[in-house]
Amino acid sequence: MTQALDASISGIIITDHQQPDNPIIYCNSAFERMTGYKRKEIIGHNCRFLQKDDRNQKEREILRQAVIEGETCVVEIRNYQKNGTLFWNELYMSPIMNAEGKVCYFVGVQNDITRRKNVEYELKQHQEQMERRIEERTKSLKENEDYLASIVETVRESLVVLNPDFKVLSVNDHFIKTFKVSREETENKLLYNLGNGQWDIPALKELLENILPTNNPVEEFEVEHDFPHIGKKLMLLNAHRIELEGKFKDRILIAIEDITERREIERRKDDFLSIASHELKTPLTTIKGYVQVMDRLLPANASEKFKNVLHKTGVYITRLNNLISELLDVSRIQTGNIELHKEPFDFDKMVIESIENIQSATKTHKIILSGSTGVTYIGDESHIVQVLNNLLSNAIKYSPEEHEVNVYLSRVSDFLKVSVTDNGMGISHEDQKKVFERFFRVGEIQQRFPGMGIGLYICAEIIKNHGGTIWVESEKNHGSNFSFTLPITQPK
Amino acid sequence: MSKKILICDDDEGILDMLEFVLEEEGFNIIPEKNSLNVYNVIKEQKPDLLLLDLWMPVLSGDQVLKALRDNPFTAKLPVIVISASTEGSHIAKASGATDYISKPFDMDQLVSKIQTLIA
Repeated sequence: MTQALDASISGIIITDHQQPDNPIIYCNSAFERMTGYKRKEIIGHNCRFLQKDDRNQKEREILRQAVIEGETCVVEIRNYQKNGTLFWNELYMSPIMNAEGKVCYFVGVQNDITRRKNVEYELKQHQEQMERRIEERTKSLKENEDYLASIVETVRESLVVLNPDFKVLSVNDHFIKTFKVSREETENKLLYNLGNGQWDIPALKELLENILPTNNPVEEFEVEHDFPHIGKKLMLLNAHRIELEGKFKDRILIAIEDITERREIERRKDDFLSIASHELKTPLTTIKGYVQVMDRLLPANASEKFKNVLHKTGVYITRLNNLISELLDVSRIQTGNIELHKEPFDFDKMVIESIENIQSATKTHKIILSGSTGVTYIGDESHIVQVLNNLLSNAIKYSPEEHEVNVYLSRVSDFLKVSVTDNGMGISHEDQKKVFERFFRVGEIQQRFPGMGIGLYICAEIIKNHGGTIWVESEKNHGSNFSFTLPITQPK
Repeated sequence: MSKKILICDDDEGILDMLEFVLEEEGFNIIPEKNSLNVYNVIKEQKPDLLLLDLWMPVLSGDQVLKALRDNPFTAKLPVIVISASTEGSHIAKASGATDYISKPFDMDQLVSKIQTLIA
């Protein structure tokens, strides 16, 4: 019997309830191993010695109660080995009664469950940590989501999210308001079936179909349409593939802006400017005419002073006229409303006439033309003339000490090329990059030659609109060479 | 016998100035402020050339010009359009102008254009 008990891996003790303080009268060897005490240190003690100073565990009350009542109980209690090491003891205690039903002994079966407890504890810790983290994550996600949602709902732009089959997944409030539609008739519907088919445009379809495979966004696509509920509107459309953390998701975001009003305001501004410039030019025409009459009526013996005044008046009339024209041009270029009237014309003849025109008003410089293109060019003649005039008058203006301006025409592959070269003050490398920018003026130049800084900007825009390029090569104090090329066969 | 030029422009300043300059050049000038009268004046006075503004109230220059071109009696009349509008040259061409000059113009250039047409 004793051998059998010693073979058990559970610690077993028996206490004698009939003696005072319920001493231990038996322990097996597993109990010795478990507690680190020798048998002689165990027998005769009350079990509580295993608790050392850790006396306030609520399990003790359960044990005490069980002893008083003579009942069975199971507790998990913190005990300490002889060397002070904590171990968790799962104690199964049951009374042994005599024939009269009186409790004589208690049997305690103990298992060291420290490892289980530790695992449980770690698990619990881990779980708590996870829960805390999830809570935090959820909170921050929620915050992020609220943040994004508030942006999405606040922007004054209609937003649509599409799945790869161009079905509408969601739209924002602004979309609902703008198009006066409900979510029911929008979400989960094919984009092309919305309304009265306003988005069912082959060109748009093609662009949208390319977004997911190529990541080429749709930019500034204009849709003019008679929409249901809201009537004729001009919508500007941008579409992108939605990307998250570098990975693309198979979603397309479309942003739609109603530019009907903006376009109308731009149009009115253009109208206003063209009326204003027309009205300003009319009296200027009269003034210019009379000044020219004065020039003709000038008596042969008129003083140099008088001649000079008259000449300067003419110069400033020209400048005023240029300013008025430029103002109108800049406004149109900015709103993208520069109108091109492309017609075939004899390019070389146009250049010769422009040179003659400038030459007739220039006494200081000789404009020398060489080369030819032999091209009948299809483009907006009046605009190209404007570019040439600008380059020629700049060349003259910025080479006040010189007397020659050279124009060279050539045909290079399928381009025609025009170069205007002066031997004047030149442009520093730093400023060369900026001369084609709007309102840019070379610092020291502004003092001597006031201007708006838009001439070359307009040139660049005009050449760009014809599919060509314009550039400058210059060295400070060694003159400038402005060149532009135009494609002879223009893409349709 | 000096050549007769009809000038139609709603701006009196320009009318006065052109009349003054072109008479100096030896032309006989008929100034006309109202574009509605152009056809009758042509019928009565048979000018050799018409200088025509574009932006005019009631009947614009291009409307006048189109009507003239549609009428066999005036279809061949040399017409130089003068305008301050940036689109002027295109409108002039499309309406059947013989030549075009933009405001403000160079007097010598205008005179030479006139002389080429009715010398």
